[in-house]
Amino acid sequence: MTRAPRRETREVTLILATIVTLIVVGIINHDFMTLQNIRFMILNSVVLSLLALGQTWVIATKGIDLSVAPIMGLTAVVTGLLEQGSGLPLVGAIGITIGIGIVLGTVNGLLVAKLNIPPIIVTLGTYSLYSGLMFIYSNGTDVVSVPPAYATFGNGTLAHWLPIPIPVLILAAILFLCWFVLGHTIFGRAVLAIGNNAVAAYNAGVSVVATQIRVYMISGLLAAIAGFVFLCYTGSATVTTGTGDHVELQSIAVALIGGTAIVGGRGNMVGTVLGGLFLSVVLTALVFLHVPPIWYSAGEGAMILVTVTLGMRQNAARKAIR
Amino acid sequence: MSNSVTARRSRSRFPLGGWESSLLVLFVLQVLASSFSIPGFFDSFSSWLGLTENFLPFGIVALGLSVVILTGGIDLSVGSTAGLGAIVMAELWLHLGMPIWIAVMIGVALGALVGLINGLIITRFNTEPLIATLATSFIYRSVGTALAGESPPSGFPDSFNALGQGAIGGLIPYQLILFSILAVLFALLMSRSAYGRKIVMVGYNGDAARYSGLRVGRIVTSAYVISGAMAALAGIVLAAYYSAVRPDMGDILLLTTITTVVLGGISIFGGEGSIGGVVIAVLLLGFLRQGMLIAGFSDMVTTMVTGAILLAAITIRNLLSGRGTGMALLVRRFRNLGRDKLTEATK
Repeated sequence: MTRAPRRETREVTLILATIVTLIVVGIINHDFMTLQNIRFMILNSVVLSLLALGQTWVIATKGIDLSVAPIMGLTAVVTGLLEQGSGLPLVGAIGITIGIGIVLGTVNGLLVAKLNIPPIIVTLGTYSLYSGLMFIYSNGTDVVSVPPAYATFGNGTLAHWLPIPIPVLILAAILFLCWFVLGHTIFGRAVLAIGNNAVAAYNAGVSVVATQIRVYMISGLLAAIAGFVFLCYTGSATVTTGTGDHVELQSIAVALIGGTAIVGGRGNMVGTVLGGLFLSVVLTALVFLHVPPIWYSAGEGAMILVTVTLGMRQNAARKAIR
Repeated sequence: MSNSVTARRSRSRFPLGGWESSLLVLFVLQVLASSFSIPGFFDSFSSWLGLTENFLPFGIVALGLSVVILTGGIDLSVGSTAGLGAIVMAELWLHLGMPIWIAVMIGVALGALVGLINGLIITRFNTEPLIATLATSFIYRSVGTALAGESPPSGFPDSFNALGQGAIGGLIPYQLILFSILAVLFALLMSRSAYGRKIVMVGYNGDAARYSGLRVGRIVTSAYVISGAMAALAGIVLAAYYSAVRPDMGDILLLTTITTVVLGGISIFGGEGSIGGVVIAVLLLGFLRQGMLIAGFSDMVTTMVTGAILLAAITIRNLLSGRGTGMALLVRRFRNLGRDKLTEATK
């Protein structure tokens, strides 16, 4: 497994693209480059970036996780309703979030690894299952508000001397963990090896089953955290949270924009978060340029096509090596 | 391991394989059970046939999607394409005063065009079908929403609405006739024509197909053209059923249709499966959902059951396939990586 040459290209491209967008749109509309708006754009990218980090893990093993959307929604609805009904404290909510994520993610992992069902089918099935659970649990009740402790968790800062919103700190911590584990641990190498060639990895002594289960567990956990952050950030959750906005497709898009290869074997955690930020900046820029909202998803689609075509040369090089 | 391309050919006298037969038995049992246990499921033959109007658009999409999945690809844009096709049809009829059946044909042709774009992106730029159709689905959705405007057209002529709601002699729904014709056409095309064998060959082993002199790019592109046209047609049938169009009306189609195709026995990796299985899966899932809805379950619960059935069916299929467990299954799953060498090694 050779490391792709000049691996940082995608990160540099994304940073440059983000800066160019900021400057160009900032010149056209002076309200765009305010500190407040930049803070909003960063904060706004956190939920999608968390989902996409989980997706990056899964795609790196040549899998795919469509069920991140209902896992995110289910977590938001369950924690929000428990708080609304019985005043669940923040610590309890975080515990429940982690529990939901690990359990639902592990179910995906077991189905994929133990029963050998293709990931797209497994997560398509659990997508229906989990969104059904969400519907049954909420029974049509929406979360309409969250207490101050939750709101602080979703929007506030830890201390006055550290003016960075808590969700951004969480994202930064998780990004560091993901980056470190994928690039610098045996588990990370196993993930990439499976993505490159699962049979070869198996023959080389990698525990394919255990690694796959863990990868889907990570994806479920990050989706659940994204759901809780979403609840605290927006202060609301409904039965269509996650599934209604097709965040599963968006998270795949962000991972791909970030330079992760859909054919497996290559994951780029930093790129994923930069991709989420870039998407957030572009979508906000469209608002400031008075583009009608109906064209936002076309913008997303065009971005995916452009980045994938940009990545073509790299892919061609990889194929030539094989 | 016998080659499934030749294996299927040798037993092609039997219209249904083992998987399809089991589905058929399950379908008959399910209909019988629902008829006896759910009041209102089988009041009369015509009302029972009328239930199909609620799910046959899914079936039309499933037929087209089957061809794509047989080539080893996937088309995530069917939902947006359905919405786009229906909206273009409705706008042509409303604003240009075009006769509605001409507008319908243009709508379907547009679906084919949109599929052609998908196919060309996939084959010319060598893009993964999942990414390409994910991206184009976003774009088609925007275009559809933009064309629909603030108040999408509704109130089509009765002759058109009959396509979605009417029945010949009050008995056989037009939708059912349309679906039956398409199903027979697709089944013959896939199992009896050279074109169908090429599709399966490309899906079973793209490299071998290329070395055999098949124009793989063209064959794959044609599959997306078919899928796009079928999606647009399904959108138009939905428009006739509701007598209205909405840009997001195709959204519900995608996940259910993939479920149907896979349950119908078409391998998600391509190269394996038959249209007959898909047709039975359409009826099985469709009547199951309708039965549950009539019995008073909510839409989400039926969706949940659909998901559970999908997982259970694939699990049972894996367990019964008798091709071993553990390593052998793993090899099968990743057979795209140097398939021939690996199957040699595990013989």
